[in-house]
Amino acid sequence: MEAFESLMYGFGVALQPANIMYVFLGVLAGTIIGMLPGLGPISALALMIPITYAMNPASGLILMAGVYYGAIFGGSTSSILLNAPGVAGTVATSFDGFPLAKQGKAGKALALAAWASFVGGTISVIGLMLVAPALASVAVSFGPAEYFALMLLGLTAVVSLSERSLVKGLIAAVFGIMVSIVGIDRQTGTQRYTFDSLHLLQGIDFLVVALGVFALAEVFVMLLAGRDAKTHEKQSLGSLRLSKDEVKEIAAPVGRSSVQGFFIGVLPGAGATIASFLAYITEKRIARDGNTFGKGNIKGVAAPEAANNAACGGSFVPLLTLGVPGSGSTAVLLGALLVMGVTPGPMMLEQRPDVFWGVIASMYLGNIFLLILNLPLIPYIARILEVPRPMLLALIIMFCMIGVYGIKFTAFDLYMLLGFGLVGLLMRLNGFPLAPMILALILGDLMEENLRRALQISGGDWMTFIEKPISASLIVIAIASLIAPPVIRYIRRLRQPGVKVHG
Amino acid sequence: MITNHSNRVLGVLIALLSLLYLAAAYRIPTFPIPRPIDSDAFPKMLGFVMLALSVWLFFERPHVDASDPQRTFGEQLRRWLPVVVTAGAIALYAGTLQWLGFVPGSFLLVAGLTWFYGYRRHVVNGIVALAVPLVLYLVMTRLMTIHLPRGLLPF
Repeated sequence: MEAFESLMYGFGVALQPANIMYVFLGVLAGTIIGMLPGLGPISALALMIPITYAMNPASGLILMAGVYYGAIFGGSTSSILLNAPGVAGTVATSFDGFPLAKQGKAGKALALAAWASFVGGTISVIGLMLVAPALASVAVSFGPAEYFALMLLGLTAVVSLSERSLVKGLIAAVFGIMVSIVGIDRQTGTQRYTFDSLHLLQGIDFLVVALGVFALAEVFVMLLAGRDAKTHEKQSLGSLRLSKDEVKEIAAPVGRSSVQGFFIGVLPGAGATIASFLAYITEKRIARDGNTFGKGNIKGVAAPEAANNAACGGSFVPLLTLGVPGSGSTAVLLGALLVMGVTPGPMMLEQRPDVFWGVIASMYLGNIFLLILNLPLIPYIARILEVPRPMLLALIIMFCMIGVYGIKFTAFDLYMLLGFGLVGLLMRLNGFPLAPMILALILGDLMEENLRRALQISGGDWMTFIEKPISASLIVIAIASLIAPPVIRYIRRLRQPGVKVHG
Repeated sequence: MITNHSNRVLGVLIALLSLLYLAAAYRIPTFPIPRPIDSDAFPKMLGFVMLALSVWLFFERPHVDASDPQRTFGEQLRRWLPVVVTAGAIALYAGTLQWLGFVPGSFLLVAGLTWFYGYRRHVVNGIVALAVPLVLYLVMTRLMTIHLPRGLLPF
């Protein structure tokens, strides 16, 4: 019953008029930004951070969380209508969503996505409410060695799951850590990599990097793609109604995908994208009409949508209980929280219950708002896709500039934004994944701090990381997560007869 | 963009940058009171790890995207022109923001880039490029009390 009482307290926070407004604004902004092809949840979150500066932490996180799951929700709209997913997590939705739209059933696909997302989102909030406090009570006993190992695991998991090239993922992660330690060393006051510039004493603000390598670099990529890029064609949406039979048909897949998606979301590294693909593949395999997947099967829309929204809720578990984000998006959320002076982690449950339970309660509310936004209003909201592309790109650039300028009010940060935009573009063109970099950027100095504290306690003995059972097992899993995928690939290739193995 | 030898070029570049990074790491002053791990230890670790990774990258075979068309120099130039112009516009905006002010500067940036990207309905462009920054300016300076440069504007 304790969870119930805490939740009621959370609703007390979430139902304050200002917070209701923030939930609504958050999910609305998230839906719109997520819908725009190319701009994913990380860009959406980064663009919204400046607005939260003046807020109290509970309201700020309520708004940001709304943006996050709103973006995943909104991503499905462009997947279905344009076959151009707004968010990587909704790519699987386009497999059957777009064929449905071509058959004139876009409305049905959108309604399916909205209901499945709603169920997935709600189930994951229930999971978050039940799992998070339990995990937080375990995490209270974590010392610096365990935290270091946990962060290492978070990073290696994201690296190993991100792209085909392991080394490029690792380079991206190390680069992120390098950027994170610029500035005054908090433990000794020594300047590192500041090049005697006053602007760099406080370090490089993560928002500058996040907006640069994600939002601005995305604009550059779209500019390079030129006019070959798809444009929106007006089409009728058709009815938004679902029949009783259809509801019956999708009920089981949605339930399964929600639970599966939640647990995948909890794991570091595996987020909405992997959850949605897994749900799609699982349903395709077990469905009797599996051969119609990809041609407009309603389960092919419902399953990934339930899973990606559930994974989004699940990813809040490590963020709120351990203070360690498991993905690029939650890393940006953590960055926003740190700016507001809140350090998420096991103690947050006791020290800032208003933030913890307020956010959880606000998610119930947010999911209801999203359903309302995405069912009756979706034909109107989808008109945002008709904003001319040239204007859209110019406006995104301006929003990036305001976001960055609002941090310290210096032009120096704007030049840095441009620099990181170009770095992000080069990384993308050369196949370097961005998620490990942004996660490393947030975790980098925390990792160093915990590493040094652990060594301080042990008197400089590095064995402390292996002698403690939790940190030792986390490090083993971290190493395994890097080694396993290439080893498995190698063994598979060996098993294929007649294939020559190259290193 | 990814070609057969791109990993070699990137490997060498990243190795050079790691060496510079390491050189700077060795110039980080030591803290007067001895401690198990000083400010320079972590950067040195990062530098050496990056150096090792650059060697690994050098020897890794790139996944060449066969669908990526080969382009002539002229085509490359045309393809990159919007990026170069946009980068220049951002730098110009950053340099003149304080003097020009947020609203006029943003108007020029948005209207100019929208036009450059190929939008030809000038009246609509002008209205949007003026209205969006103006609304943002008023909301941020009046409601949220966030300072934005006034510049040439009288209010």
